[in-house]
Amino acid sequence: MREKKKIIAFCCENSSLKAAYAVTDQSILDAIEIIRLPCSGKAEIGLVLKCFENGHPGVLILGCPVDNCKYLTGNVRARKRVGMVKKALREAGIDENRVQMDFISSVDSHKFMNIVKEMEERLAPTAR
Amino acid sequence: MITAVQKPFDEISEMVKGHDKLLILGCGSCVTVCMAGGEKEVGILASTLRLFNKQNNISMEIIEDTIERQCDREFFDAVKDKILRADAVLSMACGAGVQFCAEVFEGKRVLPALNTRFYGATEQQGIWSECCAGCGSCVLDKFGGICPIARCSKSLLNGPCGGSQEGKCEVDPENIDCGWQLIYDRMKSLGLLHKLEENEPINDWSTGRDGGPGKIIREDMVL
Repeated sequence: MREKKKIIAFCCENSSLKAAYAVTDQSILDAIEIIRLPCSGKAEIGLVLKCFENGHPGVLILGCPVDNCKYLTGNVRARKRVGMVKKALREAGIDENRVQMDFISSVDSHKFMNIVKEMEERLAPTAR
Repeated sequence: MITAVQKPFDEISEMVKGHDKLLILGCGSCVTVCMAGGEKEVGILASTLRLFNKQNNISMEIIEDTIERQCDREFFDAVKDKILRADAVLSMACGAGVQFCAEVFEGKRVLPALNTRFYGATEQQGIWSECCAGCGSCVLDKFGGICPIARCSKSLLNGPCGGSQEGKCEVDPENIDCGWQLIYDRMKSLGLLHKLEENEPINDWSTGRDGGPGKIIREDMVL
């Protein structure tokens, strides 16, 4: 049986990854595949597009709150890159909302859960 | 460096239509520096095309590679087999690289993924600006290292046109500095303002586009 592809969550190790570690709801953790990044600014456009090429239904890029990036502007750079990924998805005829950028602090595990839940529900009809 | 920007995706997808096996070939020199046709951009374009093809049920094998330069014959050796096996090459080099690739691999369809723009410099990360028009008769010594041909919108050689206001060009006051204001300020700082009083003869365009396709021959280097 073909394995169901999960939502990829690129998590900054300084914020959203810590929030993810605090999540206790197993259904949330089962829905995602976490990729640890030193900074959300490391989520390259090509890397995100590769996730879609490999059949993942959605990609989350979860960085530090704006103005609170350990590397000063990595999260803002990530947001711009997500804009470029959205453009590429539009050009390919794919729903651009399958990629999403959010800013989460290390104590925002509830926000983390809500973001995953919301994306999972939104993608449910297209997920395979 | 030679600067370029990627063609609109619609134009590229239309161009490559009908080819079963496509090699997207990047160039590791100028267009890598201006982030238009290097290894990363090859990967992004390849992924976008694959996703587009999947959405539209188009069967096409897409291969990716990047060589050091597409304007030198020897660098093609590393990808020779890939080029020969592909139906077409989508080159992410400048216009020179695209043409040279087509010349080296006669009979192979080589398509341009970029629009080549100008000879420029990196103003800051992500911003490139034109510095040289490649006119073939350099006058930078007379203008404090700022080219009036490339950086004055009207390529004037004997002072500003009168349409400049507060150091900005009337062609696009928001984005273009008046080339002659830049020259004046530079010459002033160098203590060479008096040099600008000399009349500059009309430019010798026979070494630019006027002389037909350019060619440089160094007899001492030719084998």
